[in-house]
Amino acid sequence: MMVRTNWLGEFLKHSVLLAGAIVVLLPFYLMLSYSLKSPAEIESNTGGFVGSQEIMTDRRCIKAGKPAEECDMRPIVYNYTAAFSEAPLVRYMLNGVFVTVSIFIIQVLVALPCAYALSKLKFWGRDVVFGLVIFCLLIPVHAIALPLYIMLAKVGLTNTYAALIIPWTISVFGIFLMRQFFMTVPDDLIDAARMDGMSEFAIVWRVMLPTAIPALLAFGIFSVVAHWNDYYWPRVVITGNRDLMTPPLGLRMFKSDLDGNEYGPMMAATTVIVLPLVIIFLLAQRRFIEGITMTGMK
Amino acid sequence: MGRSRVHLWFIGPAVILMAGLLIFPVFVAAFLSFTDYNLGNPSFNWIGVENYDRLVSRSTYKKMFTASLTYVLLVVPISVALGLGAALLISSLRIGGELYKAVFFLPVMATLLAMAIVWEFALHPIVGVVNDILRSGCDVGLLHALLSGSWLGSDPLQSWYGHACAEDFPLWLGDKRYALGTIAFIGIWQGFGFNMVLYLAGLTSVPRELYQAAHMDGADSAWERFRLVTWPMLGPTNVFVVTISSIRSFQVFDTVEALTRGGPAKSTYVMVYAMFEKGVKQNLLGIGSAITIVFLGFVLILTLIQVYFVNRRVHYA
Repeated sequence: MMVRTNWLGEFLKHSVLLAGAIVVLLPFYLMLSYSLKSPAEIESNTGGFVGSQEIMTDRRCIKAGKPAEECDMRPIVYNYTAAFSEAPLVRYMLNGVFVTVSIFIIQVLVALPCAYALSKLKFWGRDVVFGLVIFCLLIPVHAIALPLYIMLAKVGLTNTYAALIIPWTISVFGIFLMRQFFMTVPDDLIDAARMDGMSEFAIVWRVMLPTAIPALLAFGIFSVVAHWNDYYWPRVVITGNRDLMTPPLGLRMFKSDLDGNEYGPMMAATTVIVLPLVIIFLLAQRRFIEGITMTGMK
Repeated sequence: MGRSRVHLWFIGPAVILMAGLLIFPVFVAAFLSFTDYNLGNPSFNWIGVENYDRLVSRSTYKKMFTASLTYVLLVVPISVALGLGAALLISSLRIGGELYKAVFFLPVMATLLAMAIVWEFALHPIVGVVNDILRSGCDVGLLHALLSGSWLGSDPLQSWYGHACAEDFPLWLGDKRYALGTIAFIGIWQGFGFNMVLYLAGLTSVPRELYQAAHMDGADSAWERFRLVTWPMLGPTNVFVVTISSIRSFQVFDTVEALTRGGPAKSTYVMVYAMFEKGVKQNLLGIGSAITIVFLGFVLILTLIQVYFVNRRVHYA
């Protein structure tokens, strides 16, 4: 094949991609920049990326009756302290971690044994169960949200952690993914374990689980990203109880609480919520892209 | 044999949860869609197909279907085309491909609700940067002439840009002519990187020899290579990307709920938002369930189209 580099073509391609990258990155840039600047700088779009960081006075602090010198601070300090003091951001983040981790652990506890049975055990009705898994893959989450909400309301579980977690305990996609993965594990491995006198339970957790780490990691990334970012379901089942809110829902409440021109603190809160996943993504880019596309069918 | 029953312990929890949390709810929705049920009422009345009748006759729901379909028809073609374009450009780069890939994938990862709020600020009619940037172009003679078409001799006020410079730039989310397009823009911004990654995976599976063969047959231009080799070989990827994007965009909710609440004038009243508003906020579970069932129907049709095409696809490899 030809090896001559077409420098003009290369330059044009980079120009197009660079223009796209600027549009894609614009909101991230704004989010960070607004979280650093003073209200006046935000409204007039001045001050570049970080603003002048001139000392400003926190009006709420004055209203609270604190001495004036305590209320003077740099915009960056003001924005981030206001974000953490005006909204229970830490609580939201801990809720987010608790809910996403619980969901993932329960999904694995349910899916892994099922996937093992579907791929390595022979029993009556196996094809029926696998058919059921495939059928359930077709059901979109948004279509069962309303009946699930009614069912949870009927048993009095709305506004609980359980409501945030229960609907996601079953991941048919996880079962499917694990089952496909286990199909590639040689039967000899399992036979050898049985010969050693291991019980079927021990085989699942001490033989199959370690071999499934790569698939579990991909599934874990998919699951954690999906549930950390999920807004729809928490919005449906959590009404008003701030102690249970996950980060996106908390942010939404924060937004409706503000009187409109508190862009700085708002963007500081947004940054705090968006940043963890973005940083982890940048550190483990390849795995993330693989994990999310491999699970793209959901 | 102690082993003979152990599978029940393994599949039991999964089967029970599937039945209870996935299949049973579909039946509940189907059942309630024929009633006037609401939470707090001990009983309900059978009202037959009245809910469905409303869906096809009331203007609110006509607007709902229009909004959802328009959104899908805006987001799917554009995000698929951008995804393919980005993938083709990136895969043909000598250096820097990985960097663009990471940048374009960033919105897929980031919390959509949070980024929607940032876009709302950016699109604010008065203090937002988008209108600020657009406005600043009005004062640059050359740019204004170029964008308003007056360099071709036409009246600048006739063009969108020239007119906006003279009057003002749109309110975007606050204007019923622009709101849905703006929501769709955020959807495209968020989703095209996902399509790009799927296309990049599809492109790596195109055998190199085919390009060589095309080269020997005299297909030298990039366009010829794309038309004769890349595009046909991407067939299965295309089906997958289009159906996945359609299903995803049918489910749009976060941006609508946070930025427009279905307005202005129901111009962004998409199905999942309608389901939420009727069913959860207004406690009208009958009509909410009817919307659910219609929504489920749409998604199932899309999925079946996908399955049909995937099964029919030609295997080249």
